[in-house]
Amino acid sequence: MRAEVINPFLQAATEVLESELGTTPTRGSIGLQRSAYTSDEVTAVVAVTGDVAGMVMFAMTEEIARAIVSKIMGQDFPTFDALAQSGIAEIGNVITGRAAVLLAEAGFPSDLAPPMLIVGRNTMISTLDVQRLVIPMETELGKVEVQVALKLTAAPARRVA
Amino acid sequence: MAKVMVVDDAAFMRLRACKVLQDNGHEVVQAENGADAVRQYAEHRPDAVLLDITMPEMDGLAALKEIKKLDPNARVAMVTAMGQQAIVMEALRAGARDFVLKPFQPDRMLGALQKLLA
Repeated sequence: MRAEVINPFLQAATEVLESELGTTPTRGSIGLQRSAYTSDEVTAVVAVTGDVAGMVMFAMTEEIARAIVSKIMGQDFPTFDALAQSGIAEIGNVITGRAAVLLAEAGFPSDLAPPMLIVGRNTMISTLDVQRLVIPMETELGKVEVQVALKLTAAPARRVA
Repeated sequence: MAKVMVVDDAAFMRLRACKVLQDNGHEVVQAENGADAVRQYAEHRPDAVLLDITMPEMDGLAALKEIKKLDPNARVAMVTAMGQQAIVMEALRAGARDFVLKPFQPDRMLGALQKLLA
């Protein structure tokens, strides 16, 4: 995966998590995986179309998901209810949206589908022939793993900033 | 204090915006997509609208155009994570007065609202 595609997600995840949680997350070692993704307890999924296409996933435990929405909303979420689910999906949406703006500035215009949420561990999601870039983001509330499975779809001539 | 309509398909975002607006003394009307926003605008005639762009059923740009047909003086700010120039320009041409970029920042939202109501 090219740096011009990866960097917008690194920047967007850092900016949005920092803005939402009030502290700067620490980025762990980035990995590249070919095998299918096996879901964590909560996974927000955002599909991307355009000059880069595929999907971006944001995986975490339910405890961390509830801690994140509790911190943002300033109220306790004892269960991962519909409102909490909406909050986690929206964070995935905002990070991917911010990354899409940066991708467009880099010459790769793209669009997003509405976010979806997978709740429950051990669902296997195959991105088929698209490799997944795994970016662990350590926040003060725990780890959020950003998984980027995107490929370039545009002819080189179109990729002009 | 003003009557403000918050339009977003994410319930979490609507509640978040409502809290901030109500804490600042505003009355809030909620709509969960563009079509709902147009219906509720006709019914409630809010003083200002904070309108998300990417929504199912009818997106924010289409809703903006419909609201402007109902009320050419409608005061609308677009709220979005997608700040691409083409979308910004289309919304401004359609009559949006401001843009608020996500992630959500209460001060930025209240500032946009203040500009809308000025």
